Amino acid sequence: MAALCKLRFGVRSAVRFSPSISIRTSFSSDCDDGARPGSGFAAAFQRQAELQREADGDQSGSIPGQEQTFASLFKEAPIRDNVVVGRIFHVVRDDLYIDYGGKFHCVCRRPAAGGERLQRGSRVRLKILDPELTARFLGAKTDTTLLEAQGILLGPLEGREVQKRGQNQKQE
Amino acid sequence: MSNIRHLFLASRSGLLGFRHVGAAKVKFSINGQHFATASSIKSPEIQIQSFTEKVPNPPLEKHDHFRLSELFTLKDLFDARVHLGHKKGCRHRLMEPYLYNSSLDYDILDLDKTEEHLRLALNVTAQTAYRGGIILFVSRRRQFCHLVETTAKECGEYAHTRYWQGGLLTNAHIQYGQGVRLPDLIIFLSTLNNVFQQHVAIRDAAKMNIPTIGVVDSNCNPSSITYPVPGNDDTPVAMELYCRLFKMSINRAKDKRRQMELLQGLSEPSSSSS
Repeated sequence: MAALCKLRFGVRSAVRFSPSISIRTSFSSDCDDGARPGSGFAAAFQRQAELQREADGDQSGSIPGQEQTFASLFKEAPIRDNVVVGRIFHVVRDDLYIDYGGKFHCVCRRPAAGGERLQRGSRVRLKILDPELTARFLGAKTDTTLLEAQGILLGPLEGREVQKRGQNQKQE
Repeated sequence: MSNIRHLFLASRSGLLGFRHVGAAKVKFSINGQHFATASSIKSPEIQIQSFTEKVPNPPLEKHDHFRLSELFTLKDLFDARVHLGHKKGCRHRLMEPYLYNSSLDYDILDLDKTEEHLRLALNVTAQTAYRGGIILFVSRRRQFCHLVETTAKECGEYAHTRYWQGGLLTNAHIQYGQGVRLPDLIIFLSTLNNVFQQHVAIRDAAKMNIPTIGVVDSNCNPSSITYPVPGNDDTPVAMELYCRLFKMSINRAKDKRRQMELLQGLSEPSSSSS
């Protein structure tokens, strides 16, 4: 039991599991002197919590106590000429600043048709032409970057949601 | 004369007792290194001796004394888009060791290395804050200037997000008067200024022997920075993450310090007089 406690302390655990593990070890070290509750609500709760944790761990694909590597998280996905969903986070008259989950935001002009509905927080569909606008000028050692992405605004996301709701109503 | 030498040693390790209330600009208190009369430094001297004698400092060799590795995981860095870098053409040659091999047209920073560097940087921040050091947040990105200033205010430290005057660190004793205390740690949340040149403060801090922590993107030069943290400095989510992490580590260290001081105060009720 003592060896198990030492092993748990030695392993650098992920954030969400560290408090539970420390609670368990402290509990078991206290109970080395006394009697471990073999029955009762406390023991049942512990067992259920362990099972729950193991089930969650299997689903997320990470074993508690092991750190995830960057290689397991990162998937190379080219972003150029992709249609993505973005969210408008800033509006300056006719310019909409859209964040689509990339490094930079995209600035698009408000479309003439149905443009009034697009406000801060509305979700839009856009096609990304370039995730970062850069160009190498003559005589420069590195590219000059505009710190912006370039994209075409295809339209609000609301259109599809309204259609789905309509279909559901028809089915009901 | 022994008083002066003691003060000099204390200031070298950054343990001067009193400080001013935190504000948006750099504030100064009397430094031990250059001063005119001994009478002006009598009151801080007594505080310094009590500060160093009573509360033992955590050993620097002990890895992660404040348990700052609990504050973030690699998944948090990934979700905050810390791994995204600039285009290949903007890459700085010296950032190549921190990049991940990818066939995309923009660079990807290796989060395994970032995680390691960030833990080290947070540890340094906490240790400095524990010993009562002055921490200065610097960023010239106009988009995040308000965020950086509020971060500094919330943890009781200082921020400088405006135009950097040339002699702020190197000419401090003439510009701000004799006996000025310079920051003990400078944290750069973006190492470039608006013209995409390296911030002047990096070079100046190196000249004045002030350790620096800097978030370096794939187009930045990490060489003069003491503790570089390779990461994205352009996305608001990433900047909010860094600010939150630094703020939490500083607050943790300060709370621990107050705790230790209270414990020492309880165990030794008689105050020392020197």
